[in-house]
This record gives sequence, C-alpha cells and structure tokens, in this order.
Amino acid sequence: MTDSLLLAGLTWQELLARRSFIELDALGRATALLDPGSPRVLVGPFDRLESPWLVPQGITPQADDGTVIARGSVDGHPAVIASIEQGFQGGGTGEVSGAKISQALLLAAAGSRAGTPTAAVILFETGGVRLQEANLGLNAVAEICSAVLDLRPLAPVIGMVAGTVGSFGGMSIAAGLCTRLIVTPQARIGLNGPAVIEQEGGIDEFDSSDHALIWAVDGGEQRHAIGLADDLVADDADLLRAALIDAINAGVAEPGRHRSQRLDVLASRLATLDPATPLDPRDLRALWGARYEPAPVPPGDAASEHTAGEPPSTRGRTWLHALSEAAAPEPIIPSVLSATTDTARYLAVVPDPENRFYRAREGQVGVTEALALAQAIRDLVEADKDVQQKRAVIAVVDLPSQAYGRYEEMAGLHQAMAASTDAYHAARIAGHPIVAIVVGTALSGGFLTHGLQANQILALDDPGVEIHAMHKAAAARITLRTVDELDELAKTIAPLSYRVEDWAKLGFCDGLLKVENADAPTPQDVTAVGSAIAGAVQLARGRPVDLSNRLDSDAAVTTRRASRAVRDLLARQWNPAR
Amino acid sequence: MQTLNYRFPAQEAASHRVHIGIVASGDLEILLEPPAAGKPPDGVVVRVRTSVNGFDTVWHDVLKRFFTRTPLAGRWELNDFGATPGVVNLRLRQASEAAAAASGPTS
Repeated sequence: MTDSLLLAGLTWQELLARRSFIELDALGRATALLDPGSPRVLVGPFDRLESPWLVPQGITPQADDGTVIARGSVDGHPAVIASIEQGFQGGGTGEVSGAKISQALLLAAAGSRAGTPTAAVILFETGGVRLQEANLGLNAVAEICSAVLDLRPLAPVIGMVAGTVGSFGGMSIAAGLCTRLIVTPQARIGLNGPAVIEQEGGIDEFDSSDHALIWAVDGGEQRHAIGLADDLVADDADLLRAALIDAINAGVAEPGRHRSQRLDVLASRLATLDPATPLDPRDLRALWGARYEPAPVPPGDAASEHTAGEPPSTRGRTWLHALSEAAAPEPIIPSVLSATTDTARYLAVVPDPENRFYRAREGQVGVTEALALAQAIRDLVEADKDVQQKRAVIAVVDLPSQAYGRYEEMAGLHQAMAASTDAYHAARIAGHPIVAIVVGTALSGGFLTHGLQANQILALDDPGVEIHAMHKAAAARITLRTVDELDELAKTIAPLSYRVEDWAKLGFCDGLLKVENADAPTPQDVTAVGSAIAGAVQLARGRPVDLSNRLDSDAAVTTRRASRAVRDLLARQWNPAR
Repeated sequence: MQTLNYRFPAQEAASHRVHIGIVASGDLEILLEPPAAGKPPDGVVVRVRTSVNGFDTVWHDVLKRFFTRTPLAGRWELNDFGATPGVVNLRLRQASEAAAAASGPTS
C-alpha cells in the first residue's frame, strides 16, 4: 500500500489525531458505532455460552465465543451489531458464534416485521469457517446467509470490513449479500485465503508470501475500485460511524438492485475475463469500473464457449441423468447441467475439462458455475411466478469444492457465490421446495453455493460421500495439525469427521439413503432415491420456508444444544427487561 | 490445554462483575464475579485454562504475588492463550481496577 492510500483522504494531522477503529476489540468496535449510552450486549461473556467443541480439542475457549452481539441505536435508528473478535481463533465462525449472528439477524427481521425496523451491522473480521468446528461452522454460515437475506428486504444489513484479518471464507458470501459494504484500505475480502489457494493450487497459482499480490487482489481499495464494496473509508472510528449512519439512512435497497441479484452485471463482467489472457488486478478497474453496472463487452470472442468432447462420467452427471428420467439434461454452461421435468428442475455442477477457468475443470464451483446456477434458478422462479404449485429445485451435489484460483479471487468469487446463494434463497422463499441430494463429495464453499440453502438435505449412505468444510491437507495446514492428528480428532469430535454417518448426526441431514451402487445406480437405487426426494419435496411444501427445521430436528436437539441455547437466550434478552 | 485451580485468602470483595481481555495469541480474558450478595467473602477462587501446559508453578507464583497485594475476593476465571507473566499481571490489574470503579459495565 502506498502512503497516500493509507491516508484515504485524510491529512497527516487528521491521521495522527484519529481514533483508530482497527485497534479496537470487538466490543470496542460495536460501542464506537452505536449511539453513546445505547449499547446493550446480548449473550455476553457471563452467559458463558462458549464453544462446546474446543476444550475437547485442547483449545482454550472464549466466554462469548468471540462474537459480540450489541443492540442499540445508530443515529436514533434501532440497530443490532454483530462484531467478530479477530483475535480469537482468527475470527473463525463456530457453532456458537455463528448461531449468535444468525439469530440476531432473525430477531431483527422479526422485530422489523412487528413494526420496529431494526438494521443489522456485521463487522466481518474472519478467516471463515472455524475449522475446529468444520461442518457445524459451514452450516452456521449457510444459516447466516439465509438470515441476511431474510432481513435485507425489511431493514438494511450493513457489512463492514475494517481489517486487519479481513473477510475470508464463506462469511464473504454473507458480505456479498449485504445491502451495503463499507471497507477501509486495510480491509481484505476474498473467498479463498492465499494460503489455501497455495496449498490447493500450488505456488504458481498464488504465492501466499507475496503481500503485494494479496493486497492487489483482495485489498479494500481494489474491492472498492471494482464495485465490490460501496464505501472506502479511512481507519477512523468517527468516519466509519458517519459512513454507517449514511448507509442506514439510505434504508433498504430496491428489490433487484442488490449486487447479489445483478446477474446482468456478473454475466457481463465474466464475459470480459479469460485466464488464458493474463490480466493484472489493476486492469480490472478500467475494465469493470467502480460502479456495479454491466461492463462493456469487448470486441472479439474472449469468452467463446467451446464444443466439449465426451464429458467425463461422474456421480453428479450419472445421478442427474438417472433422477430426471425422461428430461434430457441441458448444459447451462458445459459445467452446469439442468434437467427440467413437470415437477422439478434438477441441477448439477460437473467437470468440464475445457473450462476456460482452469481451476474449475474438475467440477468445482467457480465464478461461471455460480452464475449459471443463479440464472437457472432465477429463470425457474420467473417461469413459475404465476403458478400456485411451484416446481421443486433438486440440487444434485457432487463437487470437489469451490474453485481455488487467482483469477477467481480477482473476479470476486465470493460475489459470484453470493449470487447463487441469493437465488436459492429467493426460490425457497417464493415457495419452491429446495432439496439437496449429496451423491458424492460436497466440500466447503461449493456446498454453500449449491446445496446448503435447501429446505431438505439428503445424502447417500456411501463411503464415497464426503461432506466437509475443507480438504484434509488444507485443513491440516490452516489449523497447524498433521493429517493424522485430524483423523484422530475426527473420531471423537463429530463436526470434524469426514464420514457421512457422523455428518448425519449434526441435525441438518433429512435422510441418509442406502444404495447398492452409488457410482452406477441400479434401477432400484434410482427408484428409492427418487421417492426419497419426492418425500422431501412434500415435507418441504408443508413446512416453514426458513431453515428453522435444522435446529428442531431430533439430531439437532442432541448435537446442536449450544445453537439452541443461543437461540433461546438471545430471544429472551432481545428486549430489555422491564 | 491445562486447567488449574487456586485459592487465596482475601478480605475485600469486588463490587460488581468485570470482563477484561481476549483469548488472543499472547493474551487472555478474565471474568471476575463478586461473591454472592449477602454472603461473606470466601477468598479468591481462581480457575485458569491455559493453552500452554506445564507452567503450574509460574501461574501459582504470579497469582499468589498479585492476590497478596490485591486481596480482592470473588471468582476469577482466566482463559489464557499463551500470555506472558507480564501480560497476565497487567490484565489482573486492569480487572481489579475495573472492579473497584464506581459503576459496572453495560453487559
């Protein structure tokens, strides 16, 4: 960063006299943003709802699990702030900290519906899912995304990334869903952190020791300059509060105007990108501009689609064909297949060996896949808008992960994934039953984008089915453990396990289905899974369109006691005691 | 992680509860709760949960020295992430000063 950038419009005198926001802890940040005298901390340290998963792993917990929920007012407007403590476990989202954020958003939405519009502010300072709570953290992020989308039409949801950790992992999808996003020059926003990309794609893909590259790609100034953040504000508590007041006064955005709803912009931007033509992050500023509006399409055919040869056979493709019966699957793009029957649209992300985004060739969810999923879902919602009985969306899930790549991060993979997350949520709220059926691997952000917004989640009971927050090798690197140590811990800590039968105990599995052959399903397998899906669709139609069933299932009552305790206590404390 | 429990004599009682610090690298958080209302002070009860094993003696010495000078009765919970004795002392002083201050925090 240059000196002038750090100043962000301030004189040196102002810079020296300022009250640094970055140097504050989570409570200090929340207090600095709320009106003086108004903050009231909910589910605070003395309520002792700490993570139940850390002590068994030999990790010291924090009494409030590293997330401060504070109610109060901002310039007189009722508001709730979720402030993530970056010093505790890198701000990672665990079961408790995640439940605190999603429940606060849901209570703000309930309050808004009841006549007290309550804005929410999320201070993103997080490395993403807390890998020590892996699958529970991943689900927590899905619930947070859903809750942001529930509240967003009723009251503004303002995201703020001040630094120095920044926002990474699935929580950046939530950042991409916010009504408005405020950043400092010290902020970073990305989906995959540099170390994870280096682990997965090699040092040529991303050198995590190259700080200039990291800032050029993820830095707050860059995100603002390409329209992925709305306000670039210096690290000054008063200026950030002024920006927040401005954002809250602006109110809710018009329907369809949120960044995550602007598929036209995303499509036009991606059409200008081809990793075969090297591009400097700075070039994107000229190419895309700071306003989130459609980019001019370049002359020529930079984004021409290829004609694929014989596509590789995978579980995703196989099951999509089998389940959608007579409907012939059509490629939205070669790596996203859609098959539509009278009652449902089946979607799968599949490998495309010729994908121009080379980091998404093995079936990963990358920028174009996220866009294609969003388009396919939005199209269905539009087609059924006047129909009483909405068709179901069946997410056939078999994906190695999201795409770990430099180009993906430059383009803002988190924003593309926010588009499909938003689309899935919109379909669910509109009354389309969403059912995910995991037939192979369902990892990390890929699953967040394609599957975890479903009303009902089914999985094959098969050793080839694996659901997790991160590949083992990368998870080991990030948590400073060996793969053997991870395997050992996974035997006793359910959310860490890579085995589907352990995942099924976490409370958000609606059916574990035995099949004879998961790779080449027999006709009986297809019938059994097909009827399980039909049953799940029926269940989804009769139940609330939110994700509350994930906390009320029998398994959740046992395994997610902490989440339920957070939900209950936060609700009790929401309004001041009389 | 290691859990250590200590008791020290104390006559004065904290007037209200205090929360200080963060479980961040090289730091710790302290939760101090005064003795239950109407009950005589029952000395200092300390529970330390520390990420670094094997420093029992150091913990004992640091805490004993502090509570000899500051005999503030109550239940002290320390959640430690590798703080040095200097930082531990600083946080203990911060907590005791906050407990002596006139008004309690908002939380």
